[in-house]
Amino acid sequence: MASKLSEFTKGIIKENPTYVQVLGMCPTLATTTSAKNGFGMGIAATVVLVMSNVVISAIRKTVPEKIRIPIFITVIATFVTIVDLLMHAFTYDLWKTLGLFIPLIVVNCIIMGRAEAYASKHGIVNSLLDGLGMGVGFTLSLTLLGSIRELLGNGTVFDVNVWGKAFNMFVMILPPGAYLTLGLLAALFAAIAINKEEKAKKQAQVSQTQKAGDVK
Amino acid sequence: MKKETLKISLTLMIYTLIAGIALALVYQFTENRIAEAELENVIKSMEFLLTDESGNQIVDPKEIKNTVISKRSEMGNEIYNDGIGTVISPVYEFQNGDVKYYILTGSAVGYGGKVITIAAFKYNGSEVSLHKIKVIEYSQETPGLGAKIAEEKVQERFFPIPEEGLKNGLKVDKDAGKQNLDPDSAKQSGVAKVSDVMTGATITPRAVANSLNTMYKYLREKYMQGGEK
Repeated sequence: MASKLSEFTKGIIKENPTYVQVLGMCPTLATTTSAKNGFGMGIAATVVLVMSNVVISAIRKTVPEKIRIPIFITVIATFVTIVDLLMHAFTYDLWKTLGLFIPLIVVNCIIMGRAEAYASKHGIVNSLLDGLGMGVGFTLSLTLLGSIRELLGNGTVFDVNVWGKAFNMFVMILPPGAYLTLGLLAALFAAIAINKEEKAKKQAQVSQTQKAGDVK
Repeated sequence: MKKETLKISLTLMIYTLIAGIALALVYQFTENRIAEAELENVIKSMEFLLTDESGNQIVDPKEIKNTVISKRSEMGNEIYNDGIGTVISPVYEFQNGDVKYYILTGSAVGYGGKVITIAAFKYNGSEVSLHKIKVIEYSQETPGLGAKIAEEKVQERFFPIPEEGLKNGLKVDKDAGKQNLDPDSAKQSGVAKVSDVMTGATITPRAVANSLNTMYKYLREKYMQGGEK
């Protein structure tokens, strides 16, 4: 059970697709001009990621090694188109807002990356959890990035006013802001990982010396 | 080797065939619903355009619906282009007493792509004025800057404009050099005052003004000349 849970949680911090694996940079930089846009992109990608992970895991034994990539792309592109059509038909307003992002999902390398690195080698349930975890991690990353950019660039988060027009840097909404924020956040995640590693090392040392003491 | 190639090709073909069938089924299933959703959106925007200052419907919603449905097949063709803006078919006409309303759709290039606006022009027998507008496509504009064009309080700065203002070409206040005017007197001289509600973005409202000028030009010089007055 614990391992199943970690299949899900690993995507959120430890193997966070955006800040740790540095995957899917194109939609990340392009769509995080506001918190709402980042969140929308994340959710749309998560839905496709979960579905494609499940299907690819289910067909993994029938796919010849040599043509696995074209087949994975076919599966992913099919799902993206289906999601696009269904949203256009039944959730028109949402589709209008997300319209720009949906075709972008096809080129999102997180989906291709998880299909190749995980779903093609693991069972259906694990692949589903992996897709869900990575999707949640991606959504959280994009929402965080979008919130920071929206706050610094427009004084709002999710369109809710925080400090008005007192402190607006338009550059944060424009492309340079995406690179600046992404760089700082990636550094933060790296710092957390290094910190953890050092703590673990110290603890290991302490327990070793303790063990040595016990033997004596 | 040849056998293997054949096998691989066949496998790939089967997969793409299944994907194709799945897509065809979903398309069949959603085709009508998508057309309806698009139509509903047009009707909703038109109902908004055909309201008066106090929010009353000028034209019966049923009539709007029927008109939109009857012109369905003409939708989306470019009918006029003056190098700055484009007018997109169809042109809808509604009559209310002596007053005639023309609804036009037009686009002009904004910061990231096309900005599409639909506008209701009012014709009282002698004068054409801009009654109301709605910006319906601005998805390529920068959120927080150009995309603020979506806000009602921004769009309100573009109407109503009397013919006197339209004749000289509608401008945003920064281009006209008239940032000190208040919004209502700016409208009288064909200026949309947006610099206070859309700080830092001039390209998107300029695109809206450009498309409105093209629509006015087409309506006055082509459409109304050719047809009945």
